[in-house]
Amino acid sequence: MQKIKVTFWVLLCSMSLVSCTTVKPYQRTYLNDPEMEPGVRTAQKMEQDAQTIREGASTPGGAKTSGGCGCN
Amino acid sequence: MALSLLARAQEVKTDSVYTKRTVSKTQIEAVVSTYTQDGNNSAVTGGIGTEALVVIGPNLKISHQFNKYNTIIYHGGADFITSASTDNIDFVRMSASHKDTRGFSDISYRRDLRKTDLGITAGTGFSLESDYFSVPVSFSLDYREPSRMRSYSVAFQAFFDDLRWGRLNPDYLRPVKLIYPVELRYKNWFDNVKRNSYNIKFSFTQVINKRMVAAFFPEFSYQWGLLSTPFHRIYFSDGTEKVENLPTQRFKLPLAARLHYFAGKRNILKGQYSFFWDNFGIVSNGIELECAVKLSPIFTLSPFARFYHQSGSKYFKPYKEHSSSESYYSSDYDLSTMQTYKAGVGLRYAPFHYVGKRFQFEEMNLRYAYYRQSNGLWAHMVSLVIDVAAYGKQK
Repeated sequence: MQKIKVTFWVLLCSMSLVSCTTVKPYQRTYLNDPEMEPGVRTAQKMEQDAQTIREGASTPGGAKTSGGCGCN
Repeated sequence: MALSLLARAQEVKTDSVYTKRTVSKTQIEAVVSTYTQDGNNSAVTGGIGTEALVVIGPNLKISHQFNKYNTIIYHGGADFITSASTDNIDFVRMSASHKDTRGFSDISYRRDLRKTDLGITAGTGFSLESDYFSVPVSFSLDYREPSRMRSYSVAFQAFFDDLRWGRLNPDYLRPVKLIYPVELRYKNWFDNVKRNSYNIKFSFTQVINKRMVAAFFPEFSYQWGLLSTPFHRIYFSDGTEKVENLPTQRFKLPLAARLHYFAGKRNILKGQYSFFWDNFGIVSNGIELECAVKLSPIFTLSPFARFYHQSGSKYFKPYKEHSSSESYYSSDYDLSTMQTYKAGVGLRYAPFHYVGKRFQFEEMNLRYAYYRQSNGLWAHMVSLVIDVAAYGKQK
């Protein structure tokens, strides 16, 4: 797991060194695809809720909409 | 000739009288989810015993956009729960605690400001279970730069919870008391019945190039009040028994980074790394990978996998391993050291097909995941989402 963590941070840091390219509106064909949305899709929300309950950690980037004990 | 030109000019003038009309739009999202789980480490029976659980959760989200700038969003639903572990609160098989229902209803309003790309959303609602009542309050701001290269958002959420039982019982229909395990009801273990949670969530999205987008999600959470579950048993090494006891304050720091890359003409590679820290001693790291393959313009198949490791809370010990002299103790395996694995596949069907002039069937998503923890707990999760839109009449 430690190796995976280190690899991820190395990749992230190297990416941050790459400068971002300005994308014109007519070049956004790929970016406008719904699959490129970085948010959580509705079909994933139940999985995220279950993970938040079954694991001690809460999942970041999710959209918890209502409370509940999750104590079953 | 002059008359002809004049007539032509008038025609042009007539054509150029154009009034922009915005039709109202109602978006309906219907969801049905099922969750089936089993394991052998139930916290209700002190870290041993069945964790068999089935949850069926239909819900509906309706957002109505009055015009370009105002949207009202309603989200409501229910979870129908069958739980073998909570059935053991009183050790009577198929007793009242075998089945439970959770209902929730939230409403929010979104306003997009006219001259900026700033959106403001505020909402509230409730969530009700036999032993739980929660009132959420949320407020968020989001902004997208005019160049569409970066977007930012900040959201504040608060949950005001009451853990007393009785609201769904026909004899009471009001909050009465905390529910303890049947043999531990000789005293009141907790004075406080409330739990308040405050979350602040940030998100930052950056377009890297015309095929790649990255996002970063830092969050901070603070919980205060009764964080123990009153019907969780603890069996100590000396043979005594008590109710789970956890500190009354918890700070959480979850972080996540996502990267989406459109490879070639059909494949979208998605990666997410998440990190979590809290003052209970839990530190976790997780990686989730997904590859969305566009089989055709309307069908997308998305296999995915997730790997997660968690170092457990300092307050957790298994069955009969806690000492009765400790201040805080739990045998809830959700707080234990573990690895978890999840794999599955999603299918998206997005025809955006018009039914008549005003209704549009937008898309349908079906997703299945198999989840397993290193302590033996397993779960199957299935979600079906259907999106339709209805457009208002043009006046």
